[in-house]
Parts: sequence; structure tokens; C-alpha cells
Amino acid sequence: MVKSDFLITGLGSVSAAGDSLESSLVSVGAGVRNSGSVSIFSTSLTYPVFEYKGPLDSGTKMEGSRTLALLLKAVEEALFDSGLHETRGLRIGICIGTTVASQLNDLGFYRAYRETGTTSLDPVDLFLKGNPAEFLSHRLGTKGPALTIVNACSSGTDALGVALSWLKSDLCDIAIAGGADELSLIPYAGFSSLGILNPGLCAPFDRDRKGLNLGEGAGVMVIEKRSLALSRGVTPSLFLAGYGLSSDAYHLTAPSPEGIGLKTSIDAALSEAGISPHEISFVNAHGTGTQDNDQVEGKVLSEIFGSDLTFLSTKGYTGHTLGAAGGIEGVFTAAGLKEGWIPASAGFCLQDDNIPISPVKVRTEISGRYALSTSLAFGGNNAAVVIGLEGR
Amino acid sequence: MNILGIGTIFSQGSGIDALESALENGPLQPADVDALYGADGKRKAFTVDFDSVPDKGMLKKIRRADKLSKMSVVAAAAAVTDSGITDLSDKRVGIILSTAFGAHVTTFEFLDGIIDYGEKNVSPTSFSNSVHNAAASYISTSLDIKGPTLTVARFRFSFQSALELGKSWLEQGRCDYLLLGAVDQYGDVLGYVSENKLNPALEGEIKPFSFGQGGHIPGECSVFFLLGHELTSSSYCSIDGVYTAHDPNSAEKVNLNVLSADGMLKDESLYLQHLSPEISVAAYSPLFGSIMTGGAMNIAAAALTIKKQQTYASPGNSAFPGLKIVNASEPSTISTIRCIDVNCRGECATVYLGRLRDIT
Repeated sequence: MVKSDFLITGLGSVSAAGDSLESSLVSVGAGVRNSGSVSIFSTSLTYPVFEYKGPLDSGTKMEGSRTLALLLKAVEEALFDSGLHETRGLRIGICIGTTVASQLNDLGFYRAYRETGTTSLDPVDLFLKGNPAEFLSHRLGTKGPALTIVNACSSGTDALGVALSWLKSDLCDIAIAGGADELSLIPYAGFSSLGILNPGLCAPFDRDRKGLNLGEGAGVMVIEKRSLALSRGVTPSLFLAGYGLSSDAYHLTAPSPEGIGLKTSIDAALSEAGISPHEISFVNAHGTGTQDNDQVEGKVLSEIFGSDLTFLSTKGYTGHTLGAAGGIEGVFTAAGLKEGWIPASAGFCLQDDNIPISPVKVRTEISGRYALSTSLAFGGNNAAVVIGLEGR
Repeated sequence: MNILGIGTIFSQGSGIDALESALENGPLQPADVDALYGADGKRKAFTVDFDSVPDKGMLKKIRRADKLSKMSVVAAAAAVTDSGITDLSDKRVGIILSTAFGAHVTTFEFLDGIIDYGEKNVSPTSFSNSVHNAAASYISTSLDIKGPTLTVARFRFSFQSALELGKSWLEQGRCDYLLLGAVDQYGDVLGYVSENKLNPALEGEIKPFSFGQGGHIPGECSVFFLLGHELTSSSYCSIDGVYTAHDPNSAEKVNLNVLSADGMLKDESLYLQHLSPEISVAAYSPLFGSIMTGGAMNIAAAALTIKKQQTYASPGNSAFPGLKIVNASEPSTISTIRCIDVNCRGECATVYLGRLRDIT
């Protein structure tokens, strides 16, 4: 089996950075950071967020869920990009990472139930119809596996990796995979309670970083067997080459200080791709802007890839979109390879003495064939995907 | 892949012995659970307590975990113990945990915090335990497993979808062993939801072969399987096929069909199209309750059936025209079992278990 058996034929992204991948690339290329106060729910907290401000018309605001609306917008873009206009009846696997859409956590419903002992079950009905992978599978009429990944902040990256496993096992011919999450009061209050929200703008890997900003969005890839893509007349370009995941077995909320789990997942992804570290042209790091994450990730990346690694975090443009992050960052990584450049790592100014490497401070040209996207998550989960570009 | 060990925790106890005992002795009465905000005061549910867990030290180690995570750790650890594999630390082990609702009880505790104390004063412990993958994290730390670890959700087919993926992982060498399981917890809100959305079991018992007319009783459980390619003297059976989208073997003759029918669907006659008058059929939900991921418990019961080469009488009602329901617990030659689950859209997930030829 050659390395590029599983082609990425479509990309879609929606976030505070833009309502499409194309608009996002313009925005991040110009260094724009679309942050602000929360407007989509009431809160007494004042931490800035990266809210999606673009159109989400009622036709796509499915099942009353903003997450599904964001997902569908990214999926429509990815399917259009792939030229896959008809999905009904095809062996298409759907794998979507999320956090918010997996939880029955409607505050209004629960408050009413507590107060009266009885309340409308409409929010429950919406929840039961809103499992992202099941929703999308039914919406598109696909005939393949459907699975929602709820691995916290690595969910989107894991979804890409699960899709690769499905394709390799011939459980489907095409996969639509990525992540989607909306801003919600529950994680907003939760991350606040953990003391890791930044009162200003996040500054991944910076010496003076003060925490993360939450965001929302969706990032989706269409991945398909090479033979099928070629039969549709697709010109091979990007491909999904490898995936690795691991557990720290260390702590519920803190990464292992030695980063052994992250190293294991990166090694596994490189191994599946059949490449060595020096073939990686850049890394789109998890880079949340928290003290612990960035220190561990910087240490591991420098150990594996050396001190001259080209890397960035795109969370400075999107915020931390939780279950969507791996999907959006995977899409940005693929776009970086294809377009031949990556933006400045927003928010980074000063090197941290405890982090041996520094992300790019300016827009940087890329000429390599492979790139890596990493995710770390609550629970000590680590995930990494290798994306390749043919023809270089 | 083969089932090397099984661990359970449910209303009748913990460990595979508790499941075997339940299969032999039949259902117990559900508990009367306080309805925290409901007008009627009590609800029926099959709930778990930890008195039956032999390893109290493990429970002490995870005392900060919520009930969902504790159930998961207990079942996962029991699966390892049951396999007879004494040390997993030098082996490449993965974890896939499936759940329909995740840590909803802890999530509502977190919402209690927002309502009672305000957004600025909520509990970080509650929040971190409410994340779906907290249970898998507790398993990995408790058992020192550092391999691929994933938590997945797809309501009724959460477990079967996890199993389908797990088969791929083992085939692709992502790990050599896999702790793969399901967990779902009863809670006050789910009790209210199920009471108002689903038919209650008015006769106090789940009757799977009334196909939805007999009603449901909520339950909670966790069941884990240690899976691998090797064959040990403790192995149960092989898993020969897992299908969540299309079952190419649906016309295949098997020795026994095991259904996940549990009264949660308004119309469970959807199961009938997958059954045949010639093939014996059983369903074990009356033993543990109506649970979205209860299919995993039925698969555990089926695995025990193959390993022990004996049938277990199907609890609840025992007759339905045209069906050969297993009515007796007795020795029997069982080579293949099809485990069938149906969701509210009429979609079907099937898991095929086969007898290991080298095990007598």
C-alpha cells in the first residue's frame, strides 16, 4: 500500500476566523483576531471569546443546535470542495468530534425541572436528534459507519484518525470527518472554575501567556480511497497519512510533565505515515496558551523535531474550539501544506525560558511534503495526525 | 478478535459471576429511587451499589471520581482479572469506552452549582468529572494503561460502533489488547425523561417479547471486555462480525439470536424482521434494566452462553407466536450467536459471536 491511498479531497472550516476556509485564510494571513465578549448567551463572566459572527441561516440551524448548524456549514463547504454532490446511498462513514453536542446540559430545561418537577421535554428531543454523526448520516443519507467522538479537546483529531481506520478496514469508501462545537455557558463556566481562561487574548507559547480563550466552529475533511477519487476525476493533492493517540495515565486535567503520551502519539502517527521527523515541514500545535499545555508540548516537539522546528498554534485566531479544534486545525494544516504558507502564531511575542522552541512570528513559506497537527485533552488524551501533499 | 475477559457491574452485583448468577436465577425487583423533584416521590430503577465490589482499595483510590467513572473502572478492572492476564503494564493495551449519555448526573450537579452559587463559584471538580472522557481517564490511570484511549457516543449503537472500531484497531495493530466497554448511569433527570417519554413497565417487569407493549424500567450498568487475538484458557468466544450500517450476513443461520429489546422503543416489533421461527431467541434486559447501551450486557450474556455451552432461560415473558424463545437453562451446543439491537429509526446493529474451536 502506498502512502497516499487515502486522499483528502475536500476541506471545510467555519470559525471566528471566517465563514469558509477561503475567508479564514485571508483573515489569518492578515493577522486578524476576531475576539470579543460573549453575545450568544447571558453570563456574568467577562473573559473574551472567539465567537462565530457569520451567517447561520435558519435552514441550516438544524434541530435547534448551533453546533449542528456550524457542522453543516463546514460539511457543505467540504463536499463542494470535493466535488461530491450526491451522497445518498454511498458507503460514506461519518465521524465527528464534539463536546457540547454530546451533553444533555440545557440550563433552562434543568432550572424549570428543578423548580416545578415538570417541564417540556423539547430540549431532550432536540438532544436525542442531535448526535452530530447520526444527524449528519441521516441528513446526507449515507450508508456507512457513524460515530461521534467525545474525547474532549482531542475529539476532532481523533475523528480524523478514526476515519482513517475505517477506510483502511474497508468499512467505508469515503469518510466525512472532523469536529464541531458551539460556545456554551457550561464549558465557559467550567474552564473559568479551573482558572485557565485568559482575561485578555491568548498567547500560545509566549512567556507571559495567561490561559486560553474559548471559541466555536467546525472543521471537516472529505477523505476517500484513492481509487474512488481518481474514478471521479479528482486530481490527487492532499492525503491523510497517519494517526496516533495515547493516554498519559497521569491526571484528569493536567498533562504528564514529561509529555510521554504526546510523544507516543506523535511517534505512532509518523510511523503509520512511514516517515521520519525530519520530513515534517511544520507542526500545527495544540498550543492553548495555558502554562502546562504549552510547556509540555514545546518540550516534546523540540525533543522530536529539534530546535529549528517550524510550528504555530492557530488558536490565536479561532480560540480553543474544544471538540472542533482538531478538525479546524487539521483543515488549517492541510491548507498550509497546499497553499505553501502558514500564518504567524498569533499572540506570541516573547520566548519562554522553559520552552526550548518558538513558534513562527510572521507569515512563513512552507515547502515540505508533510505536516503534523496535534491535540491534547482533558483526561490525558493525546492525538496527532500526519497530512501529506503529493507532487512535492 | 476474541473475548478474553468480561467485567460487569449492574444492579445484581459486580463481576462475571454476578451476571452468571443473574442468568441462572432471573430478575430481582427494581429499587424504589427517590424522585428529587418529581411529584410522585419514587421511581423504579435498577441501580448499582458498590457493596458487591471486592476490591474496596480500588474504589478508595478513585474516591474523587463520580459514579459513572467508578462503575467503568470496576468493570474494566474486573475484565482484566477475569482474563487471567496478570500484568498488562508491559503490553500494548487500548481503551474504547462507549456511552449514550455520559456523565449527565455530574453535569446536572455542575448546573446545580451555576443555579445555586452563580457562574463564578462552580466546582472545578464537578466540571472535570462531567467531561465524557473522564471515565476512560480514570481507567487508564487506575490500570496504568497508556495506549490508544477513546470515548465515543452514538446513543443506542454506542457500544456496537465502538466494537466495530475496536476490531479495526486490533487488525491494524494499533494495540494488541483492547479494553472495550459501555457505561451508562441512571439519574433523576433521566428518570423524569424516561417516565414521561417512554411506556412504564406497569407489571413491574420488563417483558422483551411483548415488543414494546410491556414498557421499560430504567437501569444502569457498566460492562467491559478485554479483547485480543490470542487464545487463552479463559477466553469466551470470537467476535466474527460487527455491523452498524449493513449486515451482509443477516440471512446466515446461527444457533441463537440475542435481542436487546428492553421496552425503550415504543414499537419493538422492529426486531421481528430479524428473527426466524427456526432460530432460538433470548433477551436479558429484565436482569439489568432498560439502558441505551444495554446491548453490551446482552453480548456479555451471549459470550457466557458460548463459553459455558449452555443456554440461559430468557427472563420476562416466555412465549410469542412463531418464536422459539429459550425457556430453560440447560447444556446446549452453541457455535454461533447473533446479537441484535434496533434503534428508534428501525436501524439495526448486529454482532456475531463464534465458538472458539480450540476451547472445549
